[in-house]
Amino acid sequence: MIDIKNLRASVDDKEILKGLNLKIGKGEVHAIMGPNGSGKSTLSYVLSGKEGYNVSGEIQFNKKNLLELNAEERAREGIFLAFQYPIEIPGVFTNNFLRTSLNSVRKANGKVELNAIDFLKIIKEKAKELNIGEEMLLRPLNVGFSGGEKKRNEILQMSLLEPSFVVMDETDSGLDIDALKIVSNGVNSLRDPERSFLIITHYQRLLNYIKPDFVHVLSEGKIVKTGDWKLALDLEDQGYGQFIN
Amino acid sequence: MENYNEIKINFEKFITTFKTDVNDLEFRKKSFANFISKGFPVSRDENWKYSPLVQDLKKFSQLNYKKSGANILPNALMENFEHYSIIFADGVLILTDSNDAGLVIKKNNSFLKSVKKAGENPILNLNNAFADQGYLIEVSSNISLTKPIVIYNYYSKNFLSNFCSSKNFILLNEKSNVVVYEKTIYDSSIEYLITSNTEIFLAKGSKLKKYDLNCNNKHSTIFNFVKANLDENSELEYFTFSENINSCRDESIINLNGKNCFADVNAIQLLSNNCDHEIKLQINHNEEHTRSSQFVKSALYDSANAIFQGKIFVDSKAQKTDGYQLSKALLLSDNVKFFAKPELEIYADDVKCSHGSSSGSVDEESIFYLRSRGISKEDAKMMMINGFLGEVIEKITEDKFKNIFFKKLSHNYNDD
Ligand SMILES: Nc1ncnc2c1ncn2[C@@H]1O[C@H](COP(=O)(O)OP(=O)(O)O)[C@@H](O)[C@H]1O
Ligand SMILES: [Mg+2]
Repeated sequence: MIDIKNLRASVDDKEILKGLNLKIGKGEVHAIMGPNGSGKSTLSYVLSGKEGYNVSGEIQFNKKNLLELNAEERAREGIFLAFQYPIEIPGVFTNNFLRTSLNSVRKANGKVELNAIDFLKIIKEKAKELNIGEEMLLRPLNVGFSGGEKKRNEILQMSLLEPSFVVMDETDSGLDIDALKIVSNGVNSLRDPERSFLIITHYQRLLNYIKPDFVHVLSEGKIVKTGDWKLALDLEDQGYGQFIN
Repeated sequence: MENYNEIKINFEKFITTFKTDVNDLEFRKKSFANFISKGFPVSRDENWKYSPLVQDLKKFSQLNYKKSGANILPNALMENFEHYSIIFADGVLILTDSNDAGLVIKKNNSFLKSVKKAGENPILNLNNAFADQGYLIEVSSNISLTKPIVIYNYYSKNFLSNFCSSKNFILLNEKSNVVVYEKTIYDSSIEYLITSNTEIFLAKGSKLKKYDLNCNNKHSTIFNFVKANLDENSELEYFTFSENINSCRDESIINLNGKNCFADVNAIQLLSNNCDHEIKLQINHNEEHTRSSQFVKSALYDSANAIFQGKIFVDSKAQKTDGYQLSKALLLSDNVKFFAKPELEIYADDVKCSHGSSSGSVDEESIFYLRSRGISKEDAKMMMINGFLGEVIEKITEDKFKNIFFKKLSHNYNDD
């Protein structure tokens, strides 16, 4: 599915990712853990095509060179980033945004665009599953949403766009246990042999709900250790210190 | 000093043909003399320092007043919802006087007393001198009109004059309600000067919603002057949408004269190319327990220029005043200019007044967020600008008009 080789990314003169290698197969769930500042969010941005980084190395995604595609093209190819801090956009209504987004992706993939009525049917159903009230969809995007609402809105977008590769950046942070369950259920219901996940997290807690096939430790812009889900338990017990230096 | 001989000759011609009473005639002559004594405004004058009109008025030292051009409004330009209409075609008022269930709309040749004060404003003096026949709207007490009134200002391809002025009156008696929508259509491509003065009187408990659409003027220079007087418990909701206006000053003075009255003033400036638009707004809190809000957003492309001068004046007796002002601008090119000058002049001590102003470009983080959802860069930017301006349209309390302006906004982007 995705094959990252010797990925380097820097901003100005500061190198953040320093030769990262990672291969994720179809249907696999990988987790990346690592201390603050190790480059987790940067990795998520570089994967989803944010501008402003000086990037070298290779990212193959379904036989395509991802680095040649811009952010919207990657989204249309099936890459989805659930943001650590979803952006508030006053004046842009959640409903309109979701429909524009879905139709942009559908159009690029040769599917017919949905009219307002058909769209509403789909979105209402999906929102209900995630315990998102309809009035939330009438509000400006993420404006005045609680932390939990913002994260659920990210999962809603994910389930709407049906991506084939999902990067989740600390989706669990700031969630209480109930919200965590809702979010995890949302993610688990999207697990599919055709869909891969990269789950960035700080805590092992989330991995109790979404069980990864592999766990990686990121430190100073590189993957320094890879294991199965038990590695997450070790990290919880002993901290990252053992893998650093 | 400029040479105003041509204007003088024109005024003599105008005054001998225009039918009005002796008092008005005297007032017009006095106003004209006042105008001549000072001439067009200059940038030394603090009130005009930032105005695009200071430069542009120089083109009109040969004001040529004559009736001309179209005398109908093409049907295609009429709104297709039910409404009362008032039409100015090339400056000429087309109106059959009507007197219908509490609403009077009529042609009006004379000035109301309130207008007749010797003024300082040079262009208002010019308007006082030259104002042609205007309209008068009067709504009786306790009448809430279900149909809006639409005022069309239409400048046709056949417009021959280079100058027209109008003076109009809107009177709402106690507890009456009306919506007035004013739109201007510029089809003429010659250079002309338009001055208009609308005087608004809101009696106790009345409510006026006035929505103005002013877009795509090519060569005209425009001075719109609105004065509103609000009595107890009355409300003015005033929204202006100015899009691609070449050279214009929208000036308003709103007097909050009665307890618990409220002025809610909202405006959009959406400008590209060399467009130059100025909003000058003064809200006078003359009585206690009065409220005002000013909310202005500007989106500027190319080398457009926008000015917002908003003043909140609070008289010493206007305790418990609540005055709010916010202006925000999106600068969408390196060559645009936005100038905001908020002013507070407060003589009472128990008041709540705030003002803020900001300008910047479209937020890149937001653009990335939208793009990461498959939305193209262009569409993302458009959504952001749309959303930014849409917040002002959201303040409109009549759904029909909210939709009209939202459509106007999205239509604008489809054109690009
Ligand atoms: N745009 C940027 N400009 C400069 N430094 C940055 C930028 N983005 C991230 N960094 C730095 O790179 C390092 C990694 O950041 P980040 O990817 O956010 O880490 P994490 O998500 O693992 O906490 C930090 O030291 C951070 O300060
Ligand atoms: Mg991070």
